[in-house]
Amino acid sequence: MNRRTLLKSTALAAAASLVFFGAASAQNPVLKIGFVGVTSGPAAAWGISNQRSMETRAAWLNELGGVEIDGQKYDVQIVAFDDQKDPKRAIAGMEKMAQEGIHYVVGPNVDDGAAAVRPVAEQNGIMYFPYAFPKELYTAPASNAILGMVANYQSGPAIYKYLMENNGVKKVAFVAANESDPLSQRDGGVEAAKALGLEVVSDSVTYQVDTTDFTPVLLPVLQSQPDLLVLSGVSPANAPQLIRSARELGYTGLISTETAQDATVLQEGAGELANGFISVGGASTPELASDAMREFVDRYTKMFGEYNDESNTKVYALEYILETIKANPAAMNDVEEFKKTMDTFEAPNPFMVGDAKLTYVGTTSFGQKRQVSVPLVVNEFKDGAFQTLFVAQVD
Amino acid sequence: MEQILANGLYLGAQYALIALGLTLIFSLMNVLNFAHGQMYVLGGFVTYTVVAQFGLPFIVGLVASAVVLAVVGAGVERFLFRPVVARSKREESTMLLAAGIAFFLDAVILLLFGEKQRGVPKIVNGVFNWDFRLVMPYDRILIGVLAIAMIAGFIALMQYTRAGRAMRALAQDRMAAQLMGVDVERYSMLGFALGAMLAGLVGGLLVTITGVNLGMGGPTSIKAFLMIMIGGAGVISGAIAGGFILGMMESIGLTLLAAYGDITYLVIFASLMVFLAFRPQGLMGKPWG
Amino acid sequence: MNTQKLLGIGAFVIAVYVAVPLAIALSGRWDFYYTLTSVALLSVASAGVWLTFYIGRINIGQGAYALAGGYVSAILVTTAGVSFWLTLPLAGVFCAALSVLIGLPILRLRGVYFAMVTLVLTEVARLTALALPVTNGAKGITSIPLPGEVSILGLTLIPDFATLGNPKLAFYFMAVTLMVICYACLWRIVNSRLGHLCRSLQQNEELAASIGVNTAYLRVLAYSISSFFGGIAGAMFVAISQSIYPSSFQVADSVNFMLNCFLGGLGYVFGPMLGTLLLYFGWDLLFTTGRYQLLIYSSLMIALMLVLPNGLLSLFDRKGGRK
Repeated sequence: MNRRTLLKSTALAAAASLVFFGAASAQNPVLKIGFVGVTSGPAAAWGISNQRSMETRAAWLNELGGVEIDGQKYDVQIVAFDDQKDPKRAIAGMEKMAQEGIHYVVGPNVDDGAAAVRPVAEQNGIMYFPYAFPKELYTAPASNAILGMVANYQSGPAIYKYLMENNGVKKVAFVAANESDPLSQRDGGVEAAKALGLEVVSDSVTYQVDTTDFTPVLLPVLQSQPDLLVLSGVSPANAPQLIRSARELGYTGLISTETAQDATVLQEGAGELANGFISVGGASTPELASDAMREFVDRYTKMFGEYNDESNTKVYALEYILETIKANPAAMNDVEEFKKTMDTFEAPNPFMVGDAKLTYVGTTSFGQKRQVSVPLVVNEFKDGAFQTLFVAQVD
Repeated sequence: MEQILANGLYLGAQYALIALGLTLIFSLMNVLNFAHGQMYVLGGFVTYTVVAQFGLPFIVGLVASAVVLAVVGAGVERFLFRPVVARSKREESTMLLAAGIAFFLDAVILLLFGEKQRGVPKIVNGVFNWDFRLVMPYDRILIGVLAIAMIAGFIALMQYTRAGRAMRALAQDRMAAQLMGVDVERYSMLGFALGAMLAGLVGGLLVTITGVNLGMGGPTSIKAFLMIMIGGAGVISGAIAGGFILGMMESIGLTLLAAYGDITYLVIFASLMVFLAFRPQGLMGKPWG
Repeated sequence: MNTQKLLGIGAFVIAVYVAVPLAIALSGRWDFYYTLTSVALLSVASAGVWLTFYIGRINIGQGAYALAGGYVSAILVTTAGVSFWLTLPLAGVFCAALSVLIGLPILRLRGVYFAMVTLVLTEVARLTALALPVTNGAKGITSIPLPGEVSILGLTLIPDFATLGNPKLAFYFMAVTLMVICYACLWRIVNSRLGHLCRSLQQNEELAASIGVNTAYLRVLAYSISSFFGGIAGAMFVAISQSIYPSSFQVADSVNFMLNCFLGGLGYVFGPMLGTLLLYFGWDLLFTTGRYQLLIYSSLMIALMLVLPNGLLSLFDRKGGRK
């Protein structure tokens, strides 16, 4: 009996604390922006860098007195939901966002989640910024999703073309994890490579994401003697191991991927063997980064202890949302207004030097402007840091 | 061919070591430890912290992993499994507890060590290369040898020490062991600590090669389940056999089926299910373990 | 005793059909519709797992059947243009048939062996979905239309979901109805001769066989009913998310289905329902705790297990008697 009362009181206390949790007082009215993505479990790294970028930027803006929209200052509040990489949970997260009256959500991080939340987002008037590549999310009749980064079918061809012209690459091999996202990216990459006239010597080898030894995986791939080994959709956890195994097996050709990587992870996991590894980065190469970008990195590091290079790309979605609402205050509670503004929207890009602009792009790939324009930066890993190989734009 | 066998052996040694801990806990407590993979990850992170953050030698990290995980294992047995096993009507109920612990460790690892992939620098440089017929980096050879040495050490411990004999008696018949004067509670705790320690040691060993990240726990547990299924649950020789067989299957399967790509693991898993349909208790298991 | 039971069931039905929508309308928490819809569907799948527990098998493979059921419905709707309502039972039947094929060999296994084989089964299902052309592999099946209209002689029984102003509510009623039917079936099974035979399997299979119980037949029967539940739950989820991927149901789901049963209590028909409600809702409620969500969630789970190792419903046992 005693135990039961104890149980009850604990439950009550827990429930009460939940209700009052997060009800922080702010002087300005609050503008809530949502995040639905994976921040626990195997893929936690993707969502966490995302959420932290948003929180860092929001705290920074609030410290400056808030975001001014139509003469009124707003404090930005990030409402985050962990979908555990489960599409069913992602729907619940999107419902939660609708309940909170949120119209702008960053995420989800993977294909299945992004596809699953589409009905909810469209019914509730939510614009969302997935980090997933399926084209049907962004092409009509779908209209509420905006791709938050450069897709692999856009960056892949650019990289292959560059390497064909500068390094004389002729034969290319692909290897991918046997999960939806990497496999889709591999298929996209193979198509692009063939279109460019490259010879695809191996495209069927896959691996389980929990592989601890990649030697058996890579043996048959390397026997096909490619000039370029593409790690399609490789997760930051697997990349260093794959690079290391390939090099240790005596592979001397190029290795590249179309996903963003983290320099520290590569350095720790593969050391100098990762030198020459080509990946897609954000806008924080020393040449491109503006003072704002450097300050962002500083603030992120202060808040969370360690920076994640993946955030170079992920800093942008929140900026686009806020700037677009600034450009058309009616969009704050009406995504149709937001969509109208998107076509002509243009604002200076605070994270890049020079007169770079924030605009929506994607007409070539999707037939409508449903992608944020971020510079396509292709990096080369060298002794613990990324060096810019080339920069391109997606239209 | 030599390469395939060498890869299989290397994989097998590390797999067997993982499976050993799981099977030990299972044989003593009849608990399927879902948190085994998380313990492995924790071990990896402890070694990483000691070696990469504090700059201490690798061996110190390995010892730290072993100690931390042994303490965790003992605590989990003493304060969580023991009371639940004593009071639950069906012993499968411990699965919920084990899963809860797995989630808990996941959460703790995320909060303590972050979400990033971690690794420590190579402990030995260089690659052994026999005319490209057999390519094997030295650090892999070292880790493989260490793993096999640990397996041998574990077998010796179980075979020749008093504690080992007591644990084997417990595994055979808990009731009889108790009647013969074995301190059941003490050896259950010791066994759990030992099992967790083995998981931590593998994590520590592999952090130099594959690195570690918080997502590896769940899949590692599943792989360990596979191995003890092949060999027979609760049997030490079975766990070793299961580990080496799975390692070989992966190595050979990936080479043979490379052309068919996407179906390699499908074939491995499906053939396992067929195998178990014919031999339900695995290679060496007691029927209905 | 019997009237008390009837009253209880009546109160439950009124609660889910009237009280819950009313409470949601009053509080304005519209997002709870989806949460509760999920709970209803997941508890249907968990009910299947519970039934395999009832014959003494730990089933960690329900995700495989949920995925298969989802794909059956998705493929029939998109490629053959079959009405969703027809695909729902078809998905169940397909899974039941599949489970007979798979169950015949693997149901010979017991204890942890069965548990682990079914765990692998979930992974096999995912890899199969990735490899087969008919499932569209890694790209999944997306843009699946909402359930259409069902009418008899011009009389609309179920309206076209696409024309509804609030499909959330429609999905909720549909899922809850499915749940009520499934649990009614389950309750009927448990309290029938079949149920008694199943219990005899749980206690001692050899003994049951020796007194003339056809154990092999019984096991396969229970397993196929279980898989039927998994299949229809999966198909319904696909209708809601309008998309399916090989990762729509994965190992984590299979494990959760099993945990739901444990949490509610293996000895109680309604255990899995309560367990699902708590585990699923618990996670949603904790979402305000941010980065400590998983820590709190798992701590609560462990604490619950320490206090009530036989499941939540065992609370009633101590009060005395009711079962």
